[in-house]
Amino acid sequence: MNPILLLVPIFIPIIGGFLLIPLKFKENRIRNLYSEAVVCLTSILVWVAMFTISREPVEVYSFTQGFSIDFRLDGAARLFAGMVSVMWPLVMLYAFDYMKKTTRKNMFFAFYIMTYGITLGVAFSSNMTTMYTFFEMLTLVTIPLVSYYESRESRYAGRKYAAFCIGGASLGFFAVVMTTLYGQAGNFIYGGCLNDGFDPEMMQLAFLFGFFGFGVKAAVFPLHDWLPTASVAPTPVTALLHAVAVVNSGVFAIVRLTYYTFGTDFLKDTPARDLALYVSVFSLVFAAWMALGEGHFKRRLAYSTVSNLSYMLYGLMLMTPAGLCAALLHMLFHGIIKMSLFLCAGAFMHVTGKSFVSDTVGVGKKMPVTFAFYTLGGLSLTGIPLFCGFVSKWKLLQAGIAEGGPGGLAGVFALLLSALLCAIYTLGISMRAFFPPKGEDLYEKDPGRKDANMLMLIPIIVFGIINIAVGIYPAPIVAFVEKIAAGLL
Amino acid sequence: MILILGLIFIPMLCAPVAYVIGRKKEKATEPFAMVVTAAELLACMCLLSGWGRDFTLQGGISVSLSFTTRHFHCAYALIGAFMWAMTTFFAKEYFQKEREHIGRYWMFLLLTLGATEGVMLSADFMTAFIFFEILSFTSFTWVIHEETKEAITAAYTYLFIAVFGGMVLFMGLALLQKGAGTLVFEALPQALAVSDHPLMVRGAGFCILLGFGAKAGMFPLHIWLPMAHPVAPSPASALLSGILTKVGIYGILMTALYVLPRDSAFGVVVLVLGLITMVIGAVMALVSVNLKRTMACSSMSQIGFILTGIAMLVLFESAGEKEGAENALTGLTLHMVNHSLIKLTLFCAAGVVVMRCHTLVLDEIRGWGRNKTLLKIAFALGALGISGVPLFNGYLSKTLLHEAIAEGAACFGGFSQPLGALLKVSEWIFLGSGGLTFAYMLKLFICIFAERNKDAKRQAEFDVRANYMSPLSGVVIFGSSLLMPILGQPFVSSAIAGYMTEQEVSLNYAGAFSWDSLQGGLISLGFGLIIYLVIVRKVLIKGGSYCTVSQLLSGEKEDGRHTKDGKRGGLNVGLSIVTEFFRIIDMGMDAPLQLLKIFLTKEQKKEDRHTQVYGFFGGALTGKRGEEHPIAGGFSFALMMTCIGILIILYFTIR
Repeated sequence: MNPILLLVPIFIPIIGGFLLIPLKFKENRIRNLYSEAVVCLTSILVWVAMFTISREPVEVYSFTQGFSIDFRLDGAARLFAGMVSVMWPLVMLYAFDYMKKTTRKNMFFAFYIMTYGITLGVAFSSNMTTMYTFFEMLTLVTIPLVSYYESRESRYAGRKYAAFCIGGASLGFFAVVMTTLYGQAGNFIYGGCLNDGFDPEMMQLAFLFGFFGFGVKAAVFPLHDWLPTASVAPTPVTALLHAVAVVNSGVFAIVRLTYYTFGTDFLKDTPARDLALYVSVFSLVFAAWMALGEGHFKRRLAYSTVSNLSYMLYGLMLMTPAGLCAALLHMLFHGIIKMSLFLCAGAFMHVTGKSFVSDTVGVGKKMPVTFAFYTLGGLSLTGIPLFCGFVSKWKLLQAGIAEGGPGGLAGVFALLLSALLCAIYTLGISMRAFFPPKGEDLYEKDPGRKDANMLMLIPIIVFGIINIAVGIYPAPIVAFVEKIAAGLL
Repeated sequence: MILILGLIFIPMLCAPVAYVIGRKKEKATEPFAMVVTAAELLACMCLLSGWGRDFTLQGGISVSLSFTTRHFHCAYALIGAFMWAMTTFFAKEYFQKEREHIGRYWMFLLLTLGATEGVMLSADFMTAFIFFEILSFTSFTWVIHEETKEAITAAYTYLFIAVFGGMVLFMGLALLQKGAGTLVFEALPQALAVSDHPLMVRGAGFCILLGFGAKAGMFPLHIWLPMAHPVAPSPASALLSGILTKVGIYGILMTALYVLPRDSAFGVVVLVLGLITMVIGAVMALVSVNLKRTMACSSMSQIGFILTGIAMLVLFESAGEKEGAENALTGLTLHMVNHSLIKLTLFCAAGVVVMRCHTLVLDEIRGWGRNKTLLKIAFALGALGISGVPLFNGYLSKTLLHEAIAEGAACFGGFSQPLGALLKVSEWIFLGSGGLTFAYMLKLFICIFAERNKDAKRQAEFDVRANYMSPLSGVVIFGSSLLMPILGQPFVSSAIAGYMTEQEVSLNYAGAFSWDSLQGGLISLGFGLIIYLVIVRKVLIKGGSYCTVSQLLSGEKEDGRHTKDGKRGGLNVGLSIVTEFFRIIDMGMDAPLQLLKIFLTKEQKKEDRHTQVYGFFGGALTGKRGEEHPIAGGFSFALMMTCIGILIILYFTIR
């Protein structure tokens, strides 16, 4: 098939979402049908494209010489797009019920669907310029979603999110310019695309700017603060965007930056890489500890996301194929796990109207299904065998140990410490939910089960099952990602 | 292959069925569980008679599941199944009154059964690890079963240690995989011979030791054990003590045999940790005033004995003494088996006490068993077994271990060499702890079965002849207690140890009861008697009632049921201090945004604390300079200008 058709899945959700604003559906049912149809159609097209379109890049539009909009469907893009395209339709189901009582639903779903297209754009882009463009668009299109509730906190969160992301992208712009100048127009080539004739120190600086700039979306340590704040957004947004789509775009951008643009040969053994490595190691312990001290349910999960994103960055900064493989696997598996955790947290907030961890004492008897799946997610995130989180952690540890050196080993210890913290901050909740201390059960007077309704439970259950199924038999996915990491796809 | 898979997965598949039955038709749960565990026992016997075969199941996670049918593994699988069956038969009566969460209990019991068999039959560390983790989490529900305050505290501690142990183990395996390239037990020695990462392998060995040690109740990670075992229902405590600690020991033994077989540093570390565990456990047991807590601490102490055996095995191997190593292996294997069976009897007996008295505090159950002959005999047999009285099973294994240490001391040069001196000291510590074992078992026995209660009315209640346990429970307890003298006969033990260790073991009456061998045991028992008479009778019993050390020091009588735990408090404080530290950093990170706000907007009012924590620096700044004039322009423009400025500065400084 002609690779130009890659544009179709990008633009269907953008146009389809945009149309919601003038169409102004009044009926919930029709709007839901329309939204789900658009999203499902896109997902189907993505999967069709994945099986039919080759790896050749295609140029869509050229600004000037060297700056052009190019798309390509290589292995990493397939992984990211495939992951997003499975999750989006499922979370839409959840969103229908979650957003039922709010106003301005057309606006919400419009931006929510548009984000899908732009995320696919980030996945499919084939050079720095294109990726940068979609990266900026991703920020802009999600700001209204973050500050959707229009309360004081929401607006504050929106502003903060904008400031961090746009500022970060501007930092990244330096890397874009440098790689476009010195690296075959910034085209992504496995192993790096840099030509000769640049100043290595300057280039390292450019890498660091790129790392921290794009790392804002991956919530790397000094620039992570927007993510917990943004958890005031509606749960479908925090779950899908702030645990998967947006933050993984950040990680994905760093994958492109490190492995496909600067190249590991150049970066390995440079002080820039060491700095990035240590920052991610610090970040992963730091965030896990913050999650431990956090009382708000979704903010706690957000800190946990920060920690897990740093796992991925750590894997990437090892600059080995094994590290890349581990990071990509963790990107995929963390997406699945964190999605299910956020959906459970959202269901809890939706049903009880409370949002603090201290309110969950004893709720396990009231919402057994939700919290059972929450527990499964927590076990998986900790890295217990038979769940998918274990597979990626095993790979990460292996990569870290194989790399050795002070940075690699520091990361290994940090991983273990944060896994322990992770067990405390996730399983602590389920434990108190199912086994409240005598007299502290908040739901004693109100017995009887009251789980979330089916639309919300279906995504939770599906993600829970994927979590276990992949954990028990991860071989095909691992093999696929290993091929990507070796540069074969 | 089908047999082994069935052994592991059929109980796991039956678990949800048990839960459903527990929900729908409560009465049928126990019979169902009995059938499953009895079938498991039969299947294990088939396995032992050579029906199984080693095999590997290709899995997805870079390593596959593989199982072995070597004798040691099969035999321990059989012991596991036996303990499960026995406790299940006993549990029928135990849970007659307390029907709450019964389905849950059986579900997790069967899940743990499958996982335990999985660990015991595993042929590589990865398989062992996977089932080990399942077992850690499923046995958690036993600890929390009663959902009292103590149970919840204990369960928290248990979970924390279990997760910690799991993670350390995980890291050890990752190191080993890298250092040796394989995790299969049998292939490890060869792989290690050509490995060029000896340091990494040593690190892996210590990590695995710590990881499995957490489950075994080894010294620095033992804190959960005395808390968790007493709060679990008695049948579950028997399993926790008898089998789950052995799972940890199993892992350590595999490490000693295959990962670091000739590493004397490893041996010394295990020896020291084992001795500390042994002494701490024994002393805690001696001063405890709670029946099950005493027995839990006793388990810890016995684990220490087994650990010293493992240490001797490694030390002998490192010195090239084949014979000594074989003896140590025989001794520790026998002690593992003995301890499992003894704890089965003792905890089930304790279960009967709980059923009838609903308390475990020694003062309140004092004199309860005066007229209960059958239980008295069973308990006495168990106590004699664990104390190492000649003709009972503990004697043989302890003597073997003692001989191993004594030989080791001679082999490593006695007091003239540091290692020899350490072993000489260990020998005395070993005998002393054996004495303490005798002392605390004597204390328990005399308290429950011989003395009269202080409260005459209560004693009268106790003395009423009544049916105190069902025939089934009687058969279970008495039957398992009869194993003590049977296993105490040298030819029986010799056969068992020979089968399990796959080497020549020749124990006979003349050798086992010669004066040389008896000496150690008698010294121990004599010391124990003195301790009992002097310390327990004179110091720990005050005003006619059993006291803990803290009660003795403070001079007042507290309620012995609520054991305080300062450790968890300390842990919490530690965690929260670090959390606060990081929170300050986090606030600092807010400062740039606060600075931005000063320059870009006028809005400087207090925000909701949950969405905005005022920056450490930002807060200070905003407090002073709240009324700054806004500068026109968007955030992105301003930030971009800042970035360009920084770029320029950096560019020139670098050049």
